[in-house]
Amino acid sequence: METLKRSSRVLAVVGVLAIVATACGGGGEEQASPSGPSTKGGTYRTAIEDFGFTNGFDPTGEYLGTAWGLYSDLISRTLVTYKHIEGVPGDEIVPDIAESWETSADGLTWTFHLKSGVMFGPPLDRAVTSKDIAYAFQRINTKSLIAQYGNYYAGVIEGLTGDAKSPSTPISGISTPDDSTIVFTLTKPTGDFLFRAAMPATAPIPEEVGKCFTKAGDYGRFVISSGPYMIDGEDALDTSSCKAMEPLSGFDPDKFMVFVRNPNYDAATDSPDVRSANLDGVVISIDTNTDDIFNKIQSGDLDGSWASLPPKTLEQQYLTNPDLKDNFHINSGDRTWYITMNLLVPPFDDVNVRKAVNFVIDKTALQKAWGGPAHGEIATSVEPPEVLPETADYDPYPSPNHEGDVQAAQDAMKQSKYDSNGDGKCDADVCSDVLLVSRNIPPWTDMNPVLSEDLAKIGINVKIRELETSTAYTTIQTLDNLIPIAANAGWGKDYADPYGFDFFIFNSAGIACSGQVNYSELGMTKDQATECGPKVLAAWNAATDNGKTPLPSVDKKMDECYGLLDEARATCWTELDTSLMEEAVPWVPYLWATVFTVTADSVTHWEFDQFSGALSFAHIAVNNGLDPTSVPVG
Amino acid sequence: MGRYIVRRLIWVVFVLLVITFISYMIFFVMPSTDPAVVFAGRQPTPELVAEVRHQFGLDHPWPVQYALFVKRIFLGDQYGWPGLGFSFNTRSELKPIIFSRMWVTIQLAFGAAVVWLLIGIPIGILSALKPRSVFDRMAMGFALFGVSAPVFFLGPLFLYLFWFKLGIAPGSGYYAIGVYGIGPWFSHFIMPWIVLALLYAAFYARMTRANLIETMGQDYIRTARAKGLSERTVVLKHGLRASLTPVVTMFGLDLGGLLGGAFITETVFNLPGIGAYAIKSVGSGDLYAILDITIIAGFFITLMNLVVDVLYAFLDPRVRYT
Repeated sequence: METLKRSSRVLAVVGVLAIVATACGGGGEEQASPSGPSTKGGTYRTAIEDFGFTNGFDPTGEYLGTAWGLYSDLISRTLVTYKHIEGVPGDEIVPDIAESWETSADGLTWTFHLKSGVMFGPPLDRAVTSKDIAYAFQRINTKSLIAQYGNYYAGVIEGLTGDAKSPSTPISGISTPDDSTIVFTLTKPTGDFLFRAAMPATAPIPEEVGKCFTKAGDYGRFVISSGPYMIDGEDALDTSSCKAMEPLSGFDPDKFMVFVRNPNYDAATDSPDVRSANLDGVVISIDTNTDDIFNKIQSGDLDGSWASLPPKTLEQQYLTNPDLKDNFHINSGDRTWYITMNLLVPPFDDVNVRKAVNFVIDKTALQKAWGGPAHGEIATSVEPPEVLPETADYDPYPSPNHEGDVQAAQDAMKQSKYDSNGDGKCDADVCSDVLLVSRNIPPWTDMNPVLSEDLAKIGINVKIRELETSTAYTTIQTLDNLIPIAANAGWGKDYADPYGFDFFIFNSAGIACSGQVNYSELGMTKDQATECGPKVLAAWNAATDNGKTPLPSVDKKMDECYGLLDEARATCWTELDTSLMEEAVPWVPYLWATVFTVTADSVTHWEFDQFSGALSFAHIAVNNGLDPTSVPVG
Repeated sequence: MGRYIVRRLIWVVFVLLVITFISYMIFFVMPSTDPAVVFAGRQPTPELVAEVRHQFGLDHPWPVQYALFVKRIFLGDQYGWPGLGFSFNTRSELKPIIFSRMWVTIQLAFGAAVVWLLIGIPIGILSALKPRSVFDRMAMGFALFGVSAPVFFLGPLFLYLFWFKLGIAPGSGYYAIGVYGIGPWFSHFIMPWIVLALLYAAFYARMTRANLIETMGQDYIRTARAKGLSERTVVLKHGLRASLTPVVTMFGLDLGGLLGGAFITETVFNLPGIGAYAIKSVGSGDLYAILDITIIAGFFITLMNLVVDVLYAFLDPRVRYT
C-alpha cells in the first residue's frame, strides 16, 4: 500500500513536471528565412482589430492605405502601378495595364496603350477595355459616390468636376478611340499624373456591375477583380440583374475577407517584379484583441500581422531575442508626426516664436516617448525621406543629438515682439495658459510632459488638453476653435510625390471652417476668414494687421512646381520645403514613423509594399500549404 | 396580472424612447467627432462633407433626425422592419450586423448563466448547510477570488495558460455551431463562459448561502422538521424556494445586463457580440449603430425586470399584481 502511494506520488510529480515543461518549452520548428526563396502556394492568414475602411471598400472613395494595398497587390490593376517592394524603388511607377504611354509636348495630353489579355475575374470572363477605365473615372466624377480623393482629378482632367449626377455621364477630357487606348486631356500640365493614374480609384470597373451601385460604399462588397486574386465568391455573383446580386461571400465587413486566385489572371500580362503572386490566397479575420493576434502569430495560428501594432512587451521580445529578429520587420511608414502651430493665434502669429519652438523641442525625448529609434527616425523637415529624398538630410534647426538648443531658441525668441525684455523668454500674457491639444493615449501621454517642459524654457506655458484621437482631430479641424498649438497630428503620403503630401496641409485650399487639414491656416485669405465667422475674422485681422501683412503662403510656389517633371520637379519641391521650414514655419516635424510587422516561421519570403505602407501581398510567400477556402474565419 | 403586464410593456417603450432621446442629445450636444467629417476622408472638402452629411441623414436639425429615427424603428425603413438604419462604418444595413451579433451575445450570456447557476447555487446551498466548515470557508474563499479577479485579468490569463502554453483549449474566436459543428462551438465558448460566470457565481454563492441560512432559521422550517419531513424535503422544498426569491431578482437583472453586451469578455475572446460592437461604434461615431445597441440593451434590461417581477408572483404567493 505504501509502495503504491509512493508510486502515485512519483507519477503525480512527473505529471506536473511534464505540464510545466510543456508550458515553459518553446517550439522546436526550424525557422524559415523570410528573405529566402519564395515558395508557391499556401495562404497568408492574418487578423486585424477592425478593417477601418473609410468607404466600405468601394474603390471609388476608399482612402485607407492598407485597403490600397489589397487593391493594388491583389485585385485591382491600374494603368500604371508600383513594384510593391520597400524603399525608394517601391515608390517608382512601372507599367501595369498600360504597356506604354506618351505625353504631348505641352503636357496636356496623356495617351495610354493597354496590354491585351488583361481580364476581369469570373463571372464576367471578359477583357478589360479602355472603357472600363473611363467608367472608373466617371464614378470618381459622380457626386453621390463621394470620391474621397477626387481632388486629384477634379479640375485636372477636362470635364471632370466631381458634380456629375450619374456615373454614366461621359467626361469630355477622357476619350477611348479603341478598346486598348485611352486619352486624357488635362487642364494644365500635371507632373505627377502617373502617380494619380496608379491610385485604386482609377482601376477598371465593369459598368454592367458598377451601374447597380450609385451610393458611396455600396460597390465595396461586389468588387470585380482585374488582378491575380479575387474576393472569394466573386465567381458566384449573379450579374443577370442588379436585384439578383448578393454581396460576395468572401467579404463580411464585420468579420473577414478571403482572397483566392483569379482563374482569369494571365501572369504573362504582368511582371514578377510587380506581382510574384506566390500565395494561393489571403485570409484576414477580425480579432478585437490585439494581444490575441500576436499570440496567434507566435502559436502559428496566424502567419503574420498586417496593420496591428504589437504590444510593447512583445516588441521588446522581438527586438532583443536574436532568434526572433527575422520575424520582426521595421519599415519606413512614409509618415511625419508633427506639432502644428496656428498662425492666427498669438504667440504663434510671430515667425520668430515658431522658429524658437523648432529649436527648443527635444526630439530625442519625443522619439524615446514613442519607444526609441525603432519607432522612427527623427524628422528634421516636412517630407518623409522616401517622398522627397533630396531633403532627407536637411535640418534647418540643428541641435546636439536633436535634444533641442535652448540658446538658439532663446535667440530666436529675442527677435519676437513677445519678448519685451530680451531675455529669450516670452513675457507677454499670450504665453500663459496656451492651449495645446494632444491625445490621451501613449505615446502622446508620455510626450506631453516633454513638450510642456521644453516650451517653458522659452516662456510659453501650455495647458495640455488630452483628447480621444478622433475628438482631437475634430477639435483642430474646426477652425473657429482657434487652437494655438497641437501635437496630435500626423500625415502620411498618398503617393510618393510631394504634391500628394503637401497640397492640402499647406495650400490655402486645405482651409475650411470644419474638416480642414491646413491646421496652421497657411495662406488664409480674408474671404476664407470671413466665411468662418467673426471670431476667425478678428483673429485674421489681428494676425495680418488688417490685411497689411498677409499670412505666409506657399500657394504660388506650389503652382510653380505643379507641372514640372523629374529633376526640375524635385528641385522645386525642395525649395518649397525649405521655404516652409525657414520662412513660413508652420510645423515642428519630429518623427518619420516606421511600421512594424511580425511574421511567423511559416513566412518564407517577406517583402514590404512602400506604396501601401504595409506588407506586400504581391510578393510574400508562406509554406503552410493551406487552401484559403479551408481556413476557418471564426 | 394581465393588466399589470400590459402597463409594464408600455412603460418599456417609454423608457426606451427616453434613453434614445438622451443618447441623441449626447451625440449632438457633447463635443465629439463629426461623423460627416470623419467619414468624408482625410482631405474632406466642404462639398464632400455636405454630401456625406446628406447621405447619412445628418442634414436635418437633430430633433427632426430623432423623430425620423423613431418613425423608422416602428414603421421600418428601406431595409425592412425594424428600421435599424445603416452603418456609417461599413456603409451597409445594420439589421444583419446587429442580429448576428445579438445571437453571439445571447449564446455567451445564456451559457455563462447556466454555468454560474450550476456553480454558484450548489456551492451556496452546501455552504449554508455546513456553516463555518472547511467547505464553507473554501467556498467563500472562492467567492472572494471570483469577485476580485475581473474578466480583463482572468480572460487573458486563461487564454495564455490553457491555449497558448498548455494547448488544451482552443484559442479565441467564434465558431458558429451551424458552420463548424458542436465540438468547435462548445470548445471555443467554454472558456468565455467560465471566465464570465466566475464573478457571478461568486455573488450567487454568497447570496444563496446568506438567504438560506436565514431561511433555515425560520420557525416554519423547525415545524417542518418536527412534522417528520426528510431533511432533503425541508431544504429543497421549503428552505430553498423562499431563499431563492432575491436570487431570481438578481438573475433577471444580471442576464438582462449581459444581453446588452459583455464587451470585455467579447473583446478578450474575440467574440463578435453586441458589446464589442458598441465599443467600436462609439469610437467611430457610428450613430445609428450606437442608438440601435442602446435600444437593445435598454429593451433587455427592462424586459428582464418585467419577467423577474412576474416570476416573483409565482414564487411568492404573498405577491399579487393588479
